[in-house]
Order: sequence, then structure tokens, then C-alpha cells
Amino acid sequence: MSNLIEIRDMMKIYNPGENEVRALDGINLTVEHGEFVAIVGQSGSGKSTLMNMIGCLDIPTSGTYYLDGKNVEKLKDDQLSEIRNEEIGFIFQGFNLISNLTAIENVELPLIYRRVPAAKRSELSTAALIKVGLEHRMDHRPNQMSGGQQQRVAIARALAAAPPVILADEPTGNLDSKSSKEIMDILRELHSEGRTVILITHDDGIAATAERIIRIMDGKIESDTKAGEKTESDMRMGGQNE
Amino acid sequence: MVQIYEYVKMAFSNIKHNKVRSFLTMLGIIIGISSVILIVGIGNGAKNVITSQMSDIGEGQICVYSGDSTDTYYITNKDIEKIKKLDGIKAVSVQDGMQGKVQALKGDFDVNITCVMPDYKYFSNTGIKEGRFFNESEYNAGMPVCTIGEKDAISLFGTTNVVGMKIPVDVYGTNINFKIVGVEKAKSDSFISFDYGEKSVSIVVPETMIRKVYGVEIDNFYAVYILAQKDADTYEVANSVTKMLNNNHKVKADEDIYMVENFSDYMSIVNTVINIVTLIISLIAAISLFVGGIGVMNIMLVSVTERTREIGIRKSLGAKTKSIMLQFLAESVIITLLGGIIGIILGIACATGIASIVSAINPSLAFTPDVGVGAIFVAAAFSSIVGIFFGIYPAKKAAKLSPIEALRRN
Repeated sequence: MSNLIEIRDMMKIYNPGENEVRALDGINLTVEHGEFVAIVGQSGSGKSTLMNMIGCLDIPTSGTYYLDGKNVEKLKDDQLSEIRNEEIGFIFQGFNLISNLTAIENVELPLIYRRVPAAKRSELSTAALIKVGLEHRMDHRPNQMSGGQQQRVAIARALAAAPPVILADEPTGNLDSKSSKEIMDILRELHSEGRTVILITHDDGIAATAERIIRIMDGKIESDTKAGEKTESDMRMGGQNE
Repeated sequence: MVQIYEYVKMAFSNIKHNKVRSFLTMLGIIIGISSVILIVGIGNGAKNVITSQMSDIGEGQICVYSGDSTDTYYITNKDIEKIKKLDGIKAVSVQDGMQGKVQALKGDFDVNITCVMPDYKYFSNTGIKEGRFFNESEYNAGMPVCTIGEKDAISLFGTTNVVGMKIPVDVYGTNINFKIVGVEKAKSDSFISFDYGEKSVSIVVPETMIRKVYGVEIDNFYAVYILAQKDADTYEVANSVTKMLNNNHKVKADEDIYMVENFSDYMSIVNTVINIVTLIISLIAAISLFVGGIGVMNIMLVSVTERTREIGIRKSLGAKTKSIMLQFLAESVIITLLGGIIGIILGIACATGIASIVSAINPSLAFTPDVGVGAIFVAAAFSSIVGIFFGIYPAKKAAKLSPIEALRRN
């Protein structure tokens, strides 16, 4: 089985020339099916740029990116839309629900763009909302729900189309600790069901939930550790303790 | 098609969500379309009334006259007999005028004497109220009989019950006692009328009685009046008549002796004038439609700016450039189309209201507004075209937004 995400020598350079900013500076990254990866970094580290690249919201300056076997970096705008629709389920920090639409209508959106027939759409959306425990809030609008509920609608929206990758960008950034825990529990559950979850965060505590933690700084991958393994710095510290 | 339905649904939901704004945006279109419909309705209604009143006066009438006073070109009784046999002809008559005077109980009156043939009864659209028109035998005998208008009978005698009475008229020094055989109905109320002065009356008499006055048989006429059958083309009828006259009088091919005055010409002149007036006012109304279109564009641009984030979300969820474009385009088309439909209804209502006010104030000007299915379709189509035209720029602007840019903005 090929890797789900395969990124080679990815560069993203803003303002090419003298004042160029290397937001991504030679990223090499492989993610397999079913992994739960956290990408951690401070603001300005390049993690958001990397998430835009992984999410096909933007295209790199150079390098190659294969997503689910598809070569992404040379695609046109509309093809990127298609990939986003079929391959990725986004969960954003600001929930990004459409305020005029009810919960179920929001969940249906990616299915509409995928041309799923209305009956099937409603069936999939209902199932997704039940999964996140919002079966009683299906006809509520975002402003009638708490932040945690809104984020759960967003998760349902990401789930409904059953994309191979769930890409969560600071999903708990706007939530209190109780809601944060609920959201992380759902993400963990999704992972345990075999879905690939990529979590972008600046919060080490949240990142610790994941199986694999990738630290990013100045557009470069600083470390890439699996849960249970010790990082270089941990090992150094451990060595000192002994 | 299924996708388009989804975009229309999205657009509707958004319009419903911004009811007041959508209505205010529509207002420009509503005013534009309703004024066009109002003007077309009233213009057509007035045209119908004028046309029908004019056709009461002389629909199907053609006058053929000789443009050359040479004797050989005068129209003869033989010509008239032949004209009667042509296709599409209902009636033929000559028409001569004489002036006379009468001393009646109510004073002296001038008498306009119209000398015609028995077919002339078909030219009159009002019909006979009492008695009858003079008949063939009276005509052939040149009897001094006449018909008189209802109003003139009242002027002369104070009653319409005048059949059998005699009018002693002094025609160029000869005294002729015209026996009244019929009274013509007065014309129904119409704003076109041909009344002579108060102190003058008109009678219609057989042309053959002219010999009584002049003492000679008359067989040369300057003009002949023809009434075409209802379904006949008056221009074709006129052509066949002039062709026949040219033949009978051996007119050379390059000469133009017989002229035609066709009543249809007058009708088409009147129609043209009304059409031009309607067109000019409609153009002015179209300007308000244009301004309304700019209003739609303006609001849609504001809406794009306001909904940048929504566009970003939709794009991140897989909406293509085309999908966003169609969604916004559907919105502006629905706004203008709804505005158009409201405008059509409002326009028809206003036209009907104005028509009933006019007929209440002055019944002789009464008319029914006539908008016509064509005008309604054109108005609806035009308002959607305005929506597409003025919606394309904002829709393109929305569709072109990059999802990262759009998501970053609040």
C-alpha cells in the first residue's frame, strides 16, 4: 500500500527575491494510512503553511506532493477544489460554519459539491451528526449552539463525505477545556476507527494525544517522533538525569 | 441541471435570510419593470380605442381618384359596374357634394348634400334608426329622397320621427323637396367626431337626382369610393381597381393617372405615432431599469465582501470557481426576476387603476389597458438579463477569491 501523504523537498517562498520568506524550507514528510499525526510549532514556524499545502488550499513553490497517490503540486484551481472535496475533511479553529445554514445543511455542503443526490446526502449527514452526538441539534443554526457543539458540527461535516484525511487546524483553539476534551475524544475515536487524522497545534498538551508528533520550526522539520519513542532532547535530558 | 437546482436553492435561502435588503435591491427593478408595463398597457389600450373608433369611421375604405383632369380619364358608370365585379369588393359609390339652404321652423340652415349611390349604405357604420336607406329603384329614377342624421333631424324638426316628412332645399336656385326615407343613428360617444356647425345639417341623397339640378346625365366622376370586404387586403383591392381603370382608359405604362387614398394609411400613421410615443416613454423607463440593475450589482458586490469567509469555507469544502459563480449569479438573477414579476403585477394593477379613474372622469376616453403576453415575457426576460449582466461582475469577483485569503478574513 502506498503512503497516504508523501511530500518531498517542499518549498514555499513568499516574495521571491531579496526579501524572500521561506515559509517552508525543504520539507520531507510521509504519512501512512491510519496514522494520528500532530504537527506542532509556534506561530510563524510554517505549520499553517504546511497545513495549507497538505489541505491543497495552496500550491508549493517547488517540491512534490502525492496525496492518496495523486500528484497535487501541478493541479489547477478547480482540480484542487475536487481534491479538497474528495480527499480532505477540514476542521478549523474558528469552526467555519455558514451562519445562515442549519447544522445539517452545513454538514451537507461538501456532499452537495460532490453531487451526492439529496436523499443520500441527508442520510450521510444525519449519520455524521449522530456520530458526534448532535442528533438533537440538527436544525439549529450555528448561533444557537455552543462553541463545542459548533465544532462538533464541523467535525460531522468533515466526516460525512468519508475523506481519507481529516485535517484539524487548532480544533480546540477557541474552546474551553471541557469542550476541548470532548473534541479530542472524538478525534481519537475517529483514529481508532482507522481514519487518518492530522492535527495542527501549538499546544504540546493537545499534541500529546497523537501517536506521532512532528515539530516544525522556521519552515523545517525539527523532530518527528512516534509515541513511546523518546525525542533527541528527551534522551539528552534523560542522559543527564541518570 | 441538478447542481443548478442546488445553487438556486442556496440563492433563495440567502435572499430569504436578507429579506429587507433583497426587497430594497429589487425595488429598482420593480419600479423599472412596472413603469414599462404601465406605459405599454396604457399605450396599447389607447391605441386599441383609437383604432376601433377609426375603423368605425372608415375601415376598408379606399378612394380612387383621377390625378389628371383630362376628360378621358374621368371614371364612368361603366367603370363602376366593372369595379363592382372585382374580387374583395363589398360596395362602390361615387360621392359628390352640393350646398343648399333650408328655412325651417328653427331658422335658416345650411344643407350639406352628399350625392351617392345605393351601396353607400354600407359605408355608414352607424346604421339606420328609423326608415331605410334609398333603394335601387329610387336611385335609378333619380328621386329626391334623402336620409338624415338623428341629431340633424332634431335640429330641424325637434324629433327623430321624421320619416315621410319633406325638406324643401334651395339648391343653387332650384327648389327641391327632399322626402326623408330614413334617419341615421347618431354616432356613439367617441372623441373623434365630424360635426358641422350648429346651423348646418347634412343629408344623403341619390347621385342620380343631380340631373334634376343640372338637367343633364352625369357619367364622369372625379373619384370613386370603394369599400373592401372585411378580410380583403385594401392595398390589393386598390391595386386591382387602378389596374382595371388603367386598362379601360388606355393609360400608358409610365403614366400615373389614378391615385389611391387608403384609409389604412391613416390608421397606420396614427398607430405609428402612438408606437413612437410609447417607445420613447418606455426608453425613459428602461433607464430606471438600468439604474435598478446597477443597484443590484452594488448590493451583490457588498454581499461578496461581506461573505468572503463563506466563500472561503465553501471553496475549502470543494466548491469550484464555477459553483461559487453560479451561486452568486443565481442570486442576482432571482432578485431581478422576482422584482420583474412583482413589477409586472404592479404595472398591470396601476394601468387598470388609471384606466378606471380615466373612465370614471371622462367615459368617452374609456379604454382597457392591454399589456399583452408578449410584453410580459419580454419584461420577465429583460429583468433576468439585467440580473445576469449586472450579476456577472460580482459573481466573478466572488468566485476568484483564493480560499486561504478568504478564510483568513473575518
